[in-house]
Order: sequence, then C-alpha cells, then structure tokens
Amino acid sequence: MSGLRPHEQKTMLTLKKLGGKASVNQITAESGLSEAAVMRSALALEKEGLVRIIEKKQTAVTITKEGKEYAEKGLPEKRLITALTKLKGEASLSEVIKKAALPKHLVPIALGWLRKKGWAQLEKGSLKLLRTPEKQGNDEKLLEMLRKGSVTLESLDAETREAARLLKRRKLVELNPKTLRIVEVTEKGWNLLKRGVKAVAEVSELTPELIVSGKWRKVKLRKYNIKAPVAKTWLGKKHPYLQFIDEVKRKLVALGFKEMSGPLVEMSFFNFDALFTPQDHPAREIFGIYMVKSPKYGDLSKYRHVVARVKKTHENGWKTGSKGWGYKYSIREARRLILRGHGTSLSVRTLLSKDLEIPGKYFSIARCYRPEVVDKTHLTEFNQVEGIVVEKNLTLRDLLGVLEKFAIEIADADKVKFRPDYFPFTEPSVELSAYKEGYGWIEFGGSGIFRPEVTLPLGIDVPVIAWGLGIDRLFMMRAGIDDIRYVFTQDLDWIRRRGRI
Amino acid sequence: MPTIEIEYEDFVQLLGLELERNVEKIDEVLSFVKGEVKKFDEKEGVLTIEIKDTNRPDLWNVEGLARALRGFLGLEKGMKPYAVAGDSGVKVYVDTRLREIRPYIACAVVRNLKLNDTLIRGLMRLQDKLDQTYGRNRRRTSIGLYNFDLITPPLRYTVSKPDGTSFVPLGFEQKMSLGEILELHPKGVEYGDIVRGFDVYPILLDSENRVLSFPPIINSNDLGKVTSQTKNVLVEVTGTVHETVLNTLNMVLFSLIDRKGKAYSATIEYAYSGKPVKVVTPRIESWRMQLDIEYVNRVLGLRLTPKRVAELLRLARFDVEKTGRRTVLVRIPAYRIDVMHPIDLVEDVAIAYDYNNIEPLWRRLPTTGATKPETEVYDFARETMIGLGFQEVFTYTLTNKQALFRKMNLKPEKIVEIANPKVQTLTCLRNWLLPSLVEFLSNNQHVEYPQKIFELGTVVILDNTCETRAREEQKLAAAVTHANAGFTEIKSALDAFFANLNLKWQIEETVHPSFIDGRVGKARIDGAEVGIVGELHPLVLEAWSLEKPVAAFEVNMSRIYALTKR
Repeated sequence: MSGLRPHEQKTMLTLKKLGGKASVNQITAESGLSEAAVMRSALALEKEGLVRIIEKKQTAVTITKEGKEYAEKGLPEKRLITALTKLKGEASLSEVIKKAALPKHLVPIALGWLRKKGWAQLEKGSLKLLRTPEKQGNDEKLLEMLRKGSVTLESLDAETREAARLLKRRKLVELNPKTLRIVEVTEKGWNLLKRGVKAVAEVSELTPELIVSGKWRKVKLRKYNIKAPVAKTWLGKKHPYLQFIDEVKRKLVALGFKEMSGPLVEMSFFNFDALFTPQDHPAREIFGIYMVKSPKYGDLSKYRHVVARVKKTHENGWKTGSKGWGYKYSIREARRLILRGHGTSLSVRTLLSKDLEIPGKYFSIARCYRPEVVDKTHLTEFNQVEGIVVEKNLTLRDLLGVLEKFAIEIADADKVKFRPDYFPFTEPSVELSAYKEGYGWIEFGGSGIFRPEVTLPLGIDVPVIAWGLGIDRLFMMRAGIDDIRYVFTQDLDWIRRRGRI
Repeated sequence: MPTIEIEYEDFVQLLGLELERNVEKIDEVLSFVKGEVKKFDEKEGVLTIEIKDTNRPDLWNVEGLARALRGFLGLEKGMKPYAVAGDSGVKVYVDTRLREIRPYIACAVVRNLKLNDTLIRGLMRLQDKLDQTYGRNRRRTSIGLYNFDLITPPLRYTVSKPDGTSFVPLGFEQKMSLGEILELHPKGVEYGDIVRGFDVYPILLDSENRVLSFPPIINSNDLGKVTSQTKNVLVEVTGTVHETVLNTLNMVLFSLIDRKGKAYSATIEYAYSGKPVKVVTPRIESWRMQLDIEYVNRVLGLRLTPKRVAELLRLARFDVEKTGRRTVLVRIPAYRIDVMHPIDLVEDVAIAYDYNNIEPLWRRLPTTGATKPETEVYDFARETMIGLGFQEVFTYTLTNKQALFRKMNLKPEKIVEIANPKVQTLTCLRNWLLPSLVEFLSNNQHVEYPQKIFELGTVVILDNTCETRAREEQKLAAAVTHANAGFTEIKSALDAFFANLNLKWQIEETVHPSFIDGRVGKARIDGAEVGIVGELHPLVLEAWSLEKPVAAFEVNMSRIYALTKR
C-alpha cells in the first residue's frame, strides 16, 4: 500500500478524529475540504479498502412558506382558540375572528381544524370551547423546530413523526428523500492509521514552475478519478426561443426577404382601416385590442391623401370596384392609438413607404398584443412572423408556392395541405397545414392576396401576397413543449438546461 | 370568429349525404365553408363548429351550412330559388320618435311551419348568433319571433316611458314595467345599456295594444314564445342600420324557408321625412355582377374557360345568367352579403376548384434578402454578451408601474398605459429594461449562483413629436448576482462590451435612486449619454426580496447603433 494523496490523507485523519465513522457533511465541516473533495477521497479510499461508504436513505423535513408564516403567527386554529378562551369560551364567530385578527382566507382552514382537533364547535354562528388544547402541540413544536432549519424524519420520535405527516398534508412542511453518506474506517484502514498516515510526493498540480524548471520529469503526476462528478458550468448563450427566431430570420433572408419595422404603439388606421376592417368590427372593441389610455389619438396629417382614399373605400368602395361597407367613416376613430394586434400593420407601412421596391419581398418579426387571458395556448403579448411579396402578375399559384417553400424550408415538412381561410384584408385567403413525420398535421400559417380595397388606396396597383406564420406553435413543436408560456419563461434553470432547439 | 352548435343528425339529414361520424372527415367537408370542428359531443350528437369568415352570417346556422355544402359537394348546383309567397297584409306603423333611438324595423310572416324541439333549438341558436355577432350584441340589430296566430295586426313600433308600459317578459310570470325589466330581468341587465340613455324606450304593440316586445331587450311571454305547437311565426328585426336590419331578416327567413315554411311580406310605414314612406319587407331579391374571365385567371394563375368558371360558380351556389367569351354574368343570392367585389367571386371559383388542385409555383424574384442594418449591430452586441458568459433572457414589454418605479426606488413618470388591461400585472409598456431583469432574478433565487443574465429589448417612451405619440428604443441590460457581485465585475463586463463594439467610453459620477450612491456611473461616448452602470440599491433588493447583491448596466442600443454607423 503506497502513500495517500493529500486530500485522502486529510480525510483519513479527520475520520480518526471523529472516531472512525462520520457522515460526509461532518468530515467536510471538520476538515475544511470541499464536499466534492471529501467524496472523491472517500471513493479512492474505498477502492483501497481503507474505508467503507454506507448510504442511508433518509427523509428531509423542510418548512414551506406557509408553514413559516404559521410558525411565526401561530396555527390559524390556535389563533382562534386563544381568542375564544379570552372571550370566556363562547362567542359569536365574527367576534372571535375579530379578536384573533384572523385574515378572512384563513377562517375556513381554522374552522376545519378546530373541528378535527375537537377543540371547539360551531353552532348557529356561535363558537363554543370543547377542550382547552395543550400549550404547544406536537405539530407546533415541530414547526418551531423547523424554523431554525430542516431535520430528518428519522431523527424524530414517533409522535412528532406523525405530526410531520399531518403537516405535510396541510402543505406546511415538505418531505423529500435524501441520501446520507457515512464513511467508516475499515480494519485495514485502522491498521494504516496506527502505523501513521503519510503522503507521498505525488504531484497533483502541474505548476508553471514544474514546467519551466523541467522538474516535471522527476515527479509523478497523480492520476485523477476522471469519472468523479464535477461542478456544472452554466454558459452564456442565446435564449432558446430567440435561437429559433434567429434561425427563421436567416432562412427568410436566404429566401430573399428584407426585414421591415414599424411602431408597436400604432394608430387604428394602420392596424385596421387600411386593412379594410370596418370601424365597427368586433376585433376593434375593448376585448379585441389594447387601447392606449393617454394620449388617445395620434397624428395622421402626414397621410391625409391615403386616409381620404381609405375613407371613401370604406364608405362606398371608391375606385376599387367594391361596394364598400356603406357606413360613415370616422377619421378620429382611425387616429385612435392602440398596441398593434398583428404584424400586418407593418406591411401597410412598408407598402406606403417611398423605399418600397417592386418586385419586393419583406418580412417582420413583430411583437403584438391582444387582451387575452394568459394560459397554455394564449399569450397577451406574443410574436408574429409575417410578410409580403409585391410584384406584378403574382397569382394564387405564387401564394401557394411561397407557403410550400416555408413549410419545407422552415418547418422541415414532408407535405403540405391548403384550406380556404378568412381575413378581412385578403381574398382569396389560404390556411397552410404542414405534415411532418412524428408530429402529424399542424396548422402553420394564414395567408392571402390583399384585397383591391387594401392595395389600391395605398397606391399599389400590383398584387400583394401576404402571409403569417404560426411561429410560436412551430417553436413549441421544435422544443417539444406544450405550453406557450415557455416563450417568455421566467425559469432560469429551464433556459440554462435547454440545449440546441 | 363565430362558433356555432349544430345537431349532427339534423345536419346530415339537411345535407342529404351519409357523413362519417369522424371529426377529420367532417372537417374535410367543412373546409369548403372555412369551418372547423372544435368539439364533437358524441353523446348529445352536438357539433361545435368554428366558422372563420366573420362576413358570412348565412353560414352561422345548420340550414345555411347545408345549403352551401350541398353545392360544393355537387348535390345541388346553382342558386336555390327563394321567393316571397305573398302579402301577409300586416302593416307596421313606425313612430317618428324612434329616429334617434332605433329607427328601423323589418317584418315577415312565415306560415306552414312544422316545428319540433331540434328546430326550435336551432332557431334560438341562429337568433342568438345573429344578435351577438352580426347585430353587435343587439346594438345594431336584434331579432324577435312571435306566434302570429295570437297577434292582431296592424302593429305599432312606437315608444313608451320606462314606467308607461308593463307586460310579462319572457320567462317570467309577473308583469313588469320597462324600467323594472332593465333592473330585474337578466336580459334587461345584459342589454339595458343600449336604451338606458333615452327618455323613452322602443316598444312593439299590436292593434289591441298588447305588447309583442321591448326591443332589443325582451319579448312578451304571452305573444313572443315559439313552441312546437306554433304553426305561423311573425319574424321581426329592429335596429340602427337599415341594410343590416333587412339582411338579418333575410338570414332568418332563408333558414325557415329551407325548413319548408312559406314567407309572406309586411308593409312598414315610416314618416321620418314628414311624409309617409312605405317599405315592403323582406327584400330577398338576388342581384347581378359581371365577372371578367381574364381577371379570374389573372388572380388564380389558371386557364379556365368561361364555361368552366360558370360551372364552378354554380358549385358555389351562384347562378350564371350569361356565359360570354370574356365575361360571365353572375346572379348572387341576397344572403351573400360578403360579395362586395368581383374578387369575392374569384375566391369562390378557387374554392370550388379546390386549392389542393392548384399547382404551387415558386418564382425566383430578383430581390435581395437582408435584415435591418441595426439588427446586425444588435446581434453582434448579443453575441458579445454571450461571449462574456451572460445568459440571454426574453421578457414581456408589458409590465406595471409598481415594477418600473416603486420597486426600483423611483418616482412614477408618464408612460404608455393601457386603457383596458386584461392581466392585473400587465398594464403598461416598460420605459426601461432593467426592471424586467430584476424581476427575472427575483423569480430565480432557488437557482444556482452566480447568475449572469442579459436582454436586448424594446422600451417605449411617450414622445409628442412622434405621429403615434410614443417612441421606441432598443436597450441592452445585463445583471450579475451572487454573494460577491459588485461594481468592479459589471464595469469590467461593460468595458469589454464597448471595446468589442470598437467604442471608447468614459464613465462619469452620477446619482440614481435605483443604485447605491458612489457605486453608480453614467456611460458616455463622445459626450453622448448611452447608459448607466452600478450596484443596485438595497432598497431595490428589499423591494424585490432579493437576498444577494446585484450589479447591472443598461445601455441604449438605438443610440449606440447610431454611433457605430459613423
């Protein structure tokens, strides 16, 4: 048996000091070594037959947030009973609650436990003391104990253990399995200790000095246990969702699309009117779009001519060949400030821009807002990827071609399917479904050719194909998640552990 | 998007086709009318269908669905003939005082109905759906149905003071005044706001002064109840827009005619202009539109002959009166209110042709793809932060004033707030980015330290000089937290960040309530202020219940982009 390495030597000596048997935690505390170092040494020593590692399954009892609160202020039922006692053992419930200053939401809990513990009885709104409880019950003693730190279930007496289980049901404590590792010196180990432990001049660290002086040739470099666990490294990296969005962006650029931009606080005109959505459309009401509190109206004076044409188009079709919606159009309503509800407002602005190129292909990744309750499938703030293709002689075949290209390039789909769709601003409108082995059919995007009532007032006399991709749904598929809220997750651990999407 | 319920057996019977009880198969058929099965309650035999088209009220009932689908499935081609069987003799006199309240009414009588429970349920659903959606929650139009045999015409559409008239409303047993109905009847509570602002309320009476209804709130329990015993029904629609009122009446009538009812007209007499004006309702005449074949082919990218186009239009249940060399003359039924422009006919041609029979075409256009120039700089900045070991995060631009100001130890400022927030904690747009990161850290205190995070995101600032009264800025914020996190570490990161963007920066002492005095500095480039760096104030840490120190910076990327461009 050759000499021990410094950490192993220290571990052995610490064990001797602790009577030959101690938990890893105890050794760590006593020796000043890190827990990882002690574990590594213990494993090496076990290999040499000098120690034995005994693993014991235990249950850790820890207090929850609610439990902590009760530990400080008293259990709700105790608070009521204390108040009741002060009120001479009988009083109306409301009086007792008031005396106990018990918050409303705790009352049902308190009453339930008063009954279960047989302390008091509620009859016709009056609370009557049945039994005066002991000063501190087992459950209360345990909560008190846990305030100072967690204990193991195994270290408790039978009664307190029962109390722990009861408190777990009340969600005041948590019981979690943990493994206790005890290191015990073997006979062989004791023999070594008696002879005296010595460390050999084995070198663990290859120092610059050793390299420069050439001394490394003379020493023995210690072999590491390369299988020993190491600390986790958390690297800096992109957010999983943005990693995906960046990829989509790259692909769209490769397909010849140019990125466009526009404001997210927008005027109704760009979000609705210019897209031939009538001013009394339900999507424009308070449950369809977020409205800005103050100021309420933006400035359309720069777009006077376009607004006039859009107004006429809504009222009677203007020169578009349409009947129009046949109502009195309000410019004030067009100026209403909102948070944009879709990225199509950006397409409108692009079509109006003096920099518009024909032929042109444009895309945007736009943050959008709608007054929705947030759940597994809905966000109130979300992202839309969408865009337009502008060129003379574009047809429905081109629209289907663009969609098919997206399905293959972006969703990696095996085949596609088209269904009639509806948007107030496109005709014909097409919904795209993509099929991918292992995922089945997924609805992947909506699209269409802008109506003449949209393009002509904007001064565009060539066809415009407009498309939007269900990017969040695609991300969920790629990331294998079923909850859209992960897009804006607050869970750092999830983000850290998520590898390539 | 309207969602409707229909009964499967009834639907199949109207359709006249054995349709498999299989959601996928039903969906395939429904795709012709932009419909999708949302739910199939097999036990009750009720299908819940979402119709995407918000401009096709004719499809929001089982009769209309079957009518349209029979065409696309080739079971019945061309327009279905709908006609008024004759004059019912019913006259309705309209009080001029309704001009500002609810000026229009349309009426018809449908005879010979054989109503059963399924039909009555369908009729109620149709009425509800039209009232809610096309009628804008009864504000624009509302429908009333009555047992015609109990009514003595002529009718008077007039007004009454809230306490001037009492009747037993539907579902109740006692008489109530109009005012009481608004207070106590569930429909009064729900729709009362439509009339509450007026001194007098609309009321529909027969010649014996019995109340038919209190439009648009509730029918009378005596006259306005349709049961399986009812043979002849009076249908009435009131509202604020004449065309919508007429259209709504048509939607109900077409369904009842599909159910083998016979429709009879009524005469409405208005006097708003001083002189009596008579309007006969319903108006269910079809109308014509010319369709250019070249236009069809130009939009669809196909080479359809006029004959083929005519055939496809008939599948979509239009009639074609004349098939010329270059055009077809199309007859459009009155219920197709969505047809506003020839393009609407073109889409129906494409749907009848089936989108999946059209070959997709990918054309190479001479365009150059590119991100915005600033995107490249922003992406480079993000990469730099990642290289510095920071994890990127992605948070809402929506937040609340507490998070932006109070919890950051700041006084509130004017920002973009939402008038109609839906989520209590999301009520305004952030005007700086750091609070989003601090909130993120506060939600991750159980996660392993050190934590280093950053985000490049949008903030919004009120700005009267902008057309939308607000200006967006791109900001980059970064934060480090662990037991020994401090100024030196974050300054060192910011220094490396600027160096990698080839920018020389200076730091200048400053005071900022979110940061510790003497441990905060302004970042300047060529004199221009571009950001702030420092250690967060313990008051901020306490407000967010953070137990470890946080050092952070926030820089204005919009400004930095402008500087890198020079």
